[in-house]
Amino acid sequence: MPEYTAATLVAMTVAAVVDLRILRTRLLTQSTFWLSIGIMFFFQIFVDGWLTKLSSPIVIYAAEHASGIRVFFDSPIEDFGFGFALILGVCSMWDALAARERRRGGHP
Amino acid sequence: MDRFQYLAVMAACVVVTLPLEFVLGARVWRRPRRLLASIAAVSGPFLVWDVVAIARGHWTFSERYTTGWIVALDVPVEEVSFFLVIPLCALLTLGAVRRMRGDGSD
Repeated sequence: MPEYTAATLVAMTVAAVVDLRILRTRLLTQSTFWLSIGIMFFFQIFVDGWLTKLSSPIVIYAAEHASGIRVFFDSPIEDFGFGFALILGVCSMWDALAARERRRGGHP
Repeated sequence: MDRFQYLAVMAACVVVTLPLEFVLGARVWRRPRRLLASIAAVSGPFLVWDVVAIARGHWTFSERYTTGWIVALDVPVEEVSFFLVIPLCALLTLGAVRRMRGDGSD
């Protein structure tokens, strides 16, 4: 498997496991989270597409390190897995920190 | 100005998502400590991934559309901006959707 493809699958798994087993936010069970990530993926199509479009790429991917599957505006499909891990990761940290603040009786 | 294109895309993401905070009430910018802590915890590992991916040649950056300013370990300033801006946009989206749906999680 190409390295970027493998790294993406590992990142998605790590983000999910950290959320489910360590931070325990329940984000993955919330329809609000899935709606939010759907909205973010919609905008990723254009932002990532602007960075990756093969007509004038800003970020250039080595063919041998990715699956070669390009979607929308030539974004490597791996970028969406990368996005999933990044989005889940930060939302999960946010909720975990919010929960900790509540337990400490800090912010309402 | 072409070389500021990547940075301009990131700046546009910050500007375009401001209404999520100030119109829809996402309440992300107004929790700066939680915001910075969340971004640091996640973007740290992602920047390590970026360093390795750049070193192994998984991706490179257009000289035409980037400034050429390197922060460290061959990581361009644009990538650092990406890992500050995109998580911010994610939190604003989640926060705004929660407010719109009356979902109390905060």
